[in-house]
Amino acid sequence: MGGRYGGEHGDTYTESQVILTAVKIIAPFTLTYGMFMTLHGADTPGGSFQGGAIIGVTVLMLAFAFGIEPTRQWLKNSVIVSMVGGGVAIFIGVGLATIALGGSFLEYRLFFTVLGIPDGTKWGMEAIEVGGIALIVAGVVITLFFATAAGFTPARYRSTPEVETADDEVLSDD
Amino acid sequence: MSLVGYTLAIFVIVAALATAMFRDVLSAIIVFGAYSLGMAILYTLLLAPDVAMTEAAIGAGVTTILLLLTIAKTTRPTTDRLFESIDVPALFVVGAFVVVLGTQVLPEMYAVGDSEAPVWSNPEVTQAYLEQTYEDTGVQNAVTAVLAAYRGFDTFGEAVVVFAAGIATLLVLKREVFA
Repeated sequence: MGGRYGGEHGDTYTESQVILTAVKIIAPFTLTYGMFMTLHGADTPGGSFQGGAIIGVTVLMLAFAFGIEPTRQWLKNSVIVSMVGGGVAIFIGVGLATIALGGSFLEYRLFFTVLGIPDGTKWGMEAIEVGGIALIVAGVVITLFFATAAGFTPARYRSTPEVETADDEVLSDD
Repeated sequence: MSLVGYTLAIFVIVAALATAMFRDVLSAIIVFGAYSLGMAILYTLLLAPDVAMTEAAIGAGVTTILLLLTIAKTTRPTTDRLFESIDVPALFVVGAFVVVLGTQVLPEMYAVGDSEAPVWSNPEVTQAYLEQTYEDTGVQNAVTAVLAAYRGFDTFGEAVVVFAAGIATLLVLKREVFA
C-alpha cells in the first residue's frame, strides 16, 4: 500500500469542485437514461443489459465525485445483495412459473393462454429484463467497483479498525 | 463505408496501437477508453446500435473505471520514455498474424450490406424473425425478442455468468460484503 496513488483504504479522494458539480448535474440524467433504456428496450435499441450497466455506472460516478468510502457507507450492502440475488431469483422464478403452468422454461405465452394476462409474452419478457437482467448487471457493476476499490483490505462488517496492518495478515493466511 | 467510417477505423487502429505502445499505464488506459468509444461509434455506423450501447457502457465506461481503480492501487514508475521498447520477435509473430489474416481472411469477408452475405441469403431464417417477432412476442425490437424470448435460456445462462463473476470477485478478494 501507499505508493504514489495509494492512501488509507486505497481511497485517493481529493475534493474537486469541477467533478462534484459535473456529477451533480449529469447523474440524474444518466440514471434516467439507464432506466429509459431498460424499460424501453423492447421497442428501441438498448435493453436491460446496457441500461443496467448505465444505472450501475451512475453510482460509480457518485463514488468518484463524493469519495469511495462515503459512497460505500451510503450504499447498504443488503440493497446490493437483494439486487443481485433478487434478479437471479426473479429470472429463475419466471422460468419455473411457466414450467409450473405446464410448459417449458420461459414459455411466456402460457401467461396469456393459462392465466389470461393480456400480452403475456411481452410482460414475461419485461419481467426478466427489468426485474432480472437489469438488477443483476447494475448490482454486479457496483460490486466489481467497490470490491476492486477495497482490494485486499479485508473490510468485513466485524472487522477491527486496524485495516492498515491487516493487509499482511490476509496474505499470510494462505 | 463512408469517409467518417474510414476515419473512425483508422482512429480505432491507431488507438489500439497506442494502447499497446504507451509505456505509462495511465496513458494506455485513457487511450484504451478512446478506442472503445471509437468502436462504439463504428458499431453505430454499421447499424448495430445494441452492440454500440454495450461497448460504450461496458467498454468505454466500466472497464476504464475498473482499470483506473486497479492502477491506483499500484505504484507508477516514473519514466521519461513515451513508448515501450519494441520486442522484435513478438513484433514478428504479431506482424505475421496480421499479414495472414489480412491476406487470407479479409478478402473472404462480405462487404457491408452485400446481398450475397449469409445473413441475407437465408431469408427463411432472417426474415422469419423480422416478420414474426411482433406477432409472436408483442415487442418491436427483434434483438430484444431473440435475447429474451427465442433464446431466453441462453440469456438466463448469461445472467447467471454475470452473477457468478460478481461472486468470484468477492471470493478472490476474500470479502463478504457486496458494497
